[in-house]
Amino acid sequence: MRRPKLRHIGAPIPRKEDLRFLTGRGRYVDDIEIPGALHACFVRSPHPHARILSIGMEAAKKSPGVVDIYTGKDLAQWTTPLRMAPPIEGLHPVEMTTLPIDKVRFHGDPVACVIATSRYLAEDAAELVEVDYEPLPAAANLEQALAEGAPKVDESLASNLVSVQRFATGDVQKQKREAFKVVESAFHQGRMTHLPIETRGLAAVWDEGRQHLTVHIGNQVPHPYRSQVAARMRLSESQVTIASPDVGGGFGQKIALYREELTVCAASRQLKRPVRWREDRMENLMAASHAREDSVRTRAAVTKEGRLLGLELEILEDFGAYCFYPANYLARVVAMILTGPYKVRDYAFEVKVALTNKCGNGPMRAPMAITSWVIEGTMDAIARELRLDPLEVRRLNMVETRELPYTMPTGEVIADITPRETLEAAVKAIDYAGFRRRQAAARQEGRHLGLGLCSVVESTTYGSRFYKAAGIPGSGHEAAWLRIEPSGAVNASVGLGATGQGYETAFAQVVADGLGVEPSQVRMQLGNTDVAPYGMGSRGARGGTAGGTAIFLAAREANEKVLAIAAQMLGFDSAEGLHLVDGRIEREILGERVKTDLTLAQVARTAYLDPTALPKGIAPGLDFSKTYDPPPMTYSNAAHACEVELDAETGALKILRYVVAEDCGTVLNPFVVEGQQHGAIAMGLSGALLEHMRYDEHGNNITGSLADYLVATATDLPGFEVIPMHTPSRGNPVGIKGMAEGGVMGAIGVIASAVNDALAPFGVVAERQPLSPDYLLSLLRQT
Amino acid sequence: MLDFDLTVNGRRYPVRAEPRKLLSDVLREDCRLTGTHVGCEHGVCGACTVLVDGKPSRACLIYAVQMQDHEITTIEAVAKDGKLTPLQQALHEVHGLQCGFCTAGIVITFEAYLRENPRPTEEQVREVLAGNLCRCTGYHNIVKAILRVANERRDAQA
Repeated sequence: MRRPKLRHIGAPIPRKEDLRFLTGRGRYVDDIEIPGALHACFVRSPHPHARILSIGMEAAKKSPGVVDIYTGKDLAQWTTPLRMAPPIEGLHPVEMTTLPIDKVRFHGDPVACVIATSRYLAEDAAELVEVDYEPLPAAANLEQALAEGAPKVDESLASNLVSVQRFATGDVQKQKREAFKVVESAFHQGRMTHLPIETRGLAAVWDEGRQHLTVHIGNQVPHPYRSQVAARMRLSESQVTIASPDVGGGFGQKIALYREELTVCAASRQLKRPVRWREDRMENLMAASHAREDSVRTRAAVTKEGRLLGLELEILEDFGAYCFYPANYLARVVAMILTGPYKVRDYAFEVKVALTNKCGNGPMRAPMAITSWVIEGTMDAIARELRLDPLEVRRLNMVETRELPYTMPTGEVIADITPRETLEAAVKAIDYAGFRRRQAAARQEGRHLGLGLCSVVESTTYGSRFYKAAGIPGSGHEAAWLRIEPSGAVNASVGLGATGQGYETAFAQVVADGLGVEPSQVRMQLGNTDVAPYGMGSRGARGGTAGGTAIFLAAREANEKVLAIAAQMLGFDSAEGLHLVDGRIEREILGERVKTDLTLAQVARTAYLDPTALPKGIAPGLDFSKTYDPPPMTYSNAAHACEVELDAETGALKILRYVVAEDCGTVLNPFVVEGQQHGAIAMGLSGALLEHMRYDEHGNNITGSLADYLVATATDLPGFEVIPMHTPSRGNPVGIKGMAEGGVMGAIGVIASAVNDALAPFGVVAERQPLSPDYLLSLLRQT
Repeated sequence: MLDFDLTVNGRRYPVRAEPRKLLSDVLREDCRLTGTHVGCEHGVCGACTVLVDGKPSRACLIYAVQMQDHEITTIEAVAKDGKLTPLQQALHEVHGLQCGFCTAGIVITFEAYLRENPRPTEEQVREVLAGNLCRCTGYHNIVKAILRVANERRDAQA
């Protein structure tokens, strides 16, 4: 395909979205006024695990403003259960009803839904619902869940082990036997939650006359979400509209169809009235979706020089009580891409996922977040045990540029990445060479500095062929349409749900270059399933690569038709040498561009309103649709480096500098890309330093407020130094590689690396996150 | 139910609400000023920050009925005649917002702060900003925007 000169892609254009947000005129779900709407409030289990014996609703039903109260038995009549049974070896099928009927499985599990005329009155009545429970012993953590005779979270399963997968290539055992040393490392990542500042919520509006359900909900994947709502309410996909307005953050929490949401949709249909729900922060913390909580071990067989000969990986993940996703979905990707930029042939993994009596897990920005920490932590461990320089160990094992494309032991192929270049740039920027001197001098003064390194190879965009190969049903394609209206105005759409990524701006830049107009002339119409095409939505870091390319292809097709019509209007035989630039036709004469009098608006008018003047074989209108299925996997890469100071008296950490060198291919808008990098690093650091969703040993959630669940504030985080080193991908026509999750991966890894560097003189190793002062002090006390 | 008047953005709003109704809910539902967002309802996230008699206050920790005879300012009144303030403009130009949900609280907080403290250091800005949670930006560009406004004021006065 002929690629136009990029004039707008890559330009630092401030976002179109900003004006409405800055002036308080955004339109988030709760800002949409719906006359006569009722409000839902959920009654939740105070027990981690209990049988539901009875639900007494008499007092609650008499409470002011109450319209009705629904339980699991009601919902079972109106909706179908969620069955999670993809044909994946080692994964057991599971099923859940819309609301629990017989038993609750975690502290916060919804058992009944009160519908009332206001949120206040619904909450009053929810307190009057009397649920009689028979408490059961709970599996509060992995140890309890996997113990002999453990209480079963899901009674349809033989044990709490819901998924086990193993893989081996080469001969790791032989490598271990013959190695100079086998270096073992452990990594424990705490339980977290996404914490979008806008909690979950929706407004469901059932239209009895049209038999149509409109759901206003902040959602990342409007079309797949619509498929779920329609199927589980036994409606056709033509009877459901998902209208996702402005969204106050998603980070993976706004993908699944949650039980509360389906309940509200069913209630609206049942009552033939609009029903809305906004969860409070305690519900969001306890019952929306959790993430992470992995225990990981690696065993690396190495030579005396630190060369990696063979690698073994074990992951054990605590998935919580319910599977809104296949249970292996998150941990398995870690195992697939673990080796990242490092060369090794002999590799084996075992990934086990267990159910516990906690809130169910889901993908959170970088579901594979732990990957870089594990492999880079392994590199640090090799250096530590063999008394080598950790940078040299990395250099020794890292793939050479000339060896690309390189096939990882799992068969994953990395191509068009620059791990050596970014590593060297980060090392130089942070003054690795000079640091050791500064560190030694500081130690003389009793100050403990540490420097960390972390290379990231980020799997950004999953093509359909990846899913097929992994045995996961689903598609990696994305869809776009573009319409030039009779006035020349340009509307375009894509199936992604925006949650702050600046799609309206960055994709307007893509259209601008693909078609040949000013970005300001392009309006992206997003989030409404009646308007947008069926795409797979915004998740991972696929927006740019999958969505951007789909839009670009639609714009190129539009450009071709516009030029064909323009040629006829200008009296030429062909469009050869014609270009559309900022809405005007230009003609190339002897290598010079000459403006003509013809504009896109005139071409559009002809296309719509004077079709008999169109060239032969050209149909009226300017309306284009394209789908795009990206390669099996697209990777981008980065190298993070950071310097910390550890206060050995208090365990407090201060991040002194944070550098990241990044290659994410063609950048659509550098503001947006850098902002995504900052945000991802911040989320990674916040998780690595502070965030910890805690349950006591009985399974009670003890993190129900933002005073208990700590996230990073402006004083916890450093400024970020981003070094752009972008080289285009050859995998797609725009050269995009994608990004937005790698920052999480790098931050988690680099902070652990830096802390362990600071801890080195004490002879202890931090293997756990969060790296809280408590934890670091407990390590220091061991010395 | 109680009947009372609220003064918001210089305009009087007659309100009929229960005494327990939060200022954040009354602003959003009764005054239809939905720019004030509710993020945690326990005073931590700062998204609902409004000005009460010129001072930043958490609308989720105040009952609306307490606000009779006080002047409330919300995000809708910050830009005058559709013209962004220097702070709003700087946030736009350096990409100091992403999903935008926390933005109103940050704008309100720093419009007031910069009036009292026109030349803050980065450390001071971060200290004050620590009262507002933002999950998208990592704060870097928000700090940059605030410091830019402070520096521009310094230059203008020099």
